[in-house]
Amino acid sequence: MANLKEIRNRIVSVSSTMQITSAMKMVSAAKLKRAQDAITLMRPYADKLQDILTNLSASLDTSENEYAQERAIKNVLIIPVTSNRGLCGGFNNYVVKKALHIANVKYAAYNTTVFPIGKKAADTFKKTAHYGNSEAIVKEGSEIWGDLNFANANDMASKIMEAYVNGSFDKVVFVYNKFKNVATQIVTEVQFLPILPPVQTENSVKNTASADYIFEPSKAEIITELIPKSLKTQFYTILLESHAGEHGARMTAMHKATDNATELNKELKLKYNQARQAAITNEILEIVGGAEALNG
Amino acid sequence: MILEVLTPDEVLFKGNVTQVILPGLDGSFGILDSHAPLISALSKGAVKVDQNATENKSFKGRLNIENKANNSFTFDINGGVVEVNDNKILVLAE
Repeated sequence: MANLKEIRNRIVSVSSTMQITSAMKMVSAAKLKRAQDAITLMRPYADKLQDILTNLSASLDTSENEYAQERAIKNVLIIPVTSNRGLCGGFNNYVVKKALHIANVKYAAYNTTVFPIGKKAADTFKKTAHYGNSEAIVKEGSEIWGDLNFANANDMASKIMEAYVNGSFDKVVFVYNKFKNVATQIVTEVQFLPILPPVQTENSVKNTASADYIFEPSKAEIITELIPKSLKTQFYTILLESHAGEHGARMTAMHKATDNATELNKELKLKYNQARQAAITNEILEIVGGAEALNG
Repeated sequence: MILEVLTPDEVLFKGNVTQVILPGLDGSFGILDSHAPLISALSKGAVKVDQNATENKSFKGRLNIENKANNSFTFDINGGVVEVNDNKILVLAE
């Protein structure tokens, strides 16, 4: 009965795969919770900073700021944000595809450089012509996920901003997964530098315009201080969203894998029992046949 | 008046205080009760906070407490911005 043994082996292997996927799902769920908490803690800070900045820039022209100046575009920096690890569905693929499209089609007329964050994007862009970075930078781009906090994000954002200010790049674009909910991440392209003028929402007008503020030192100086902060905050938000999205995507992928394994297991068990029954029936037939022969 | 210190990673402090001394770009300044609405940029330096003796000391997060005597404490910030409005002080620190 080789067939029986084969099916039994498959059942064992599917069951152990199922154990792995369901364990990974639980790990991702726990990590997702932590990533979402980080976003929740970040939000009041980011919102308030944006409020103050919007309120200030309403009465002041910020287009002269070194981060806001529109220059003739020659060099474009594209930063795809992916994860270090796989097994999370199409999470990384979509970002890489979109980044490639931007580099090869949208900004084809310019010099495009890719600075990948996360190993998955680095692996892809190593093979392309846009890859102007040394190994050390790439290593840095992947290590951010090991210890994701504001201080580390701050350092990296400073370097990107410096490269823009000293003229190495005239435009910086991020491609990342925006976290919508656990099951859905939206691949988003966002222009990081030069900064776009903040959009004044009704809410922010209401929040800050009501009081007659004293500004210390001057409005212009405060804005100069705030713009880099707001950029760093934006960078950190992108990282946090992508981080939460990664775990959400992995959780969903592992959930599906577990479901598939359960389904497969059910089918295999049915087949196994059918084969077992067929074997028993065969044996009985043989015995009956033998007895008949003796009697006859 | 209420002081709230926010960083991108956490809410550093939230509670009732009597006086806050902040490191402004043009030098330190203090904020007392009923201060006029103010927005100011902060430089790197120490923030000093005085509380009422009766105030419940519940420190959240990684507040770097250097001096707990006299119901006051200080912690270091790496620059930031402060908004004072309606007897509420909001420090966005780095």
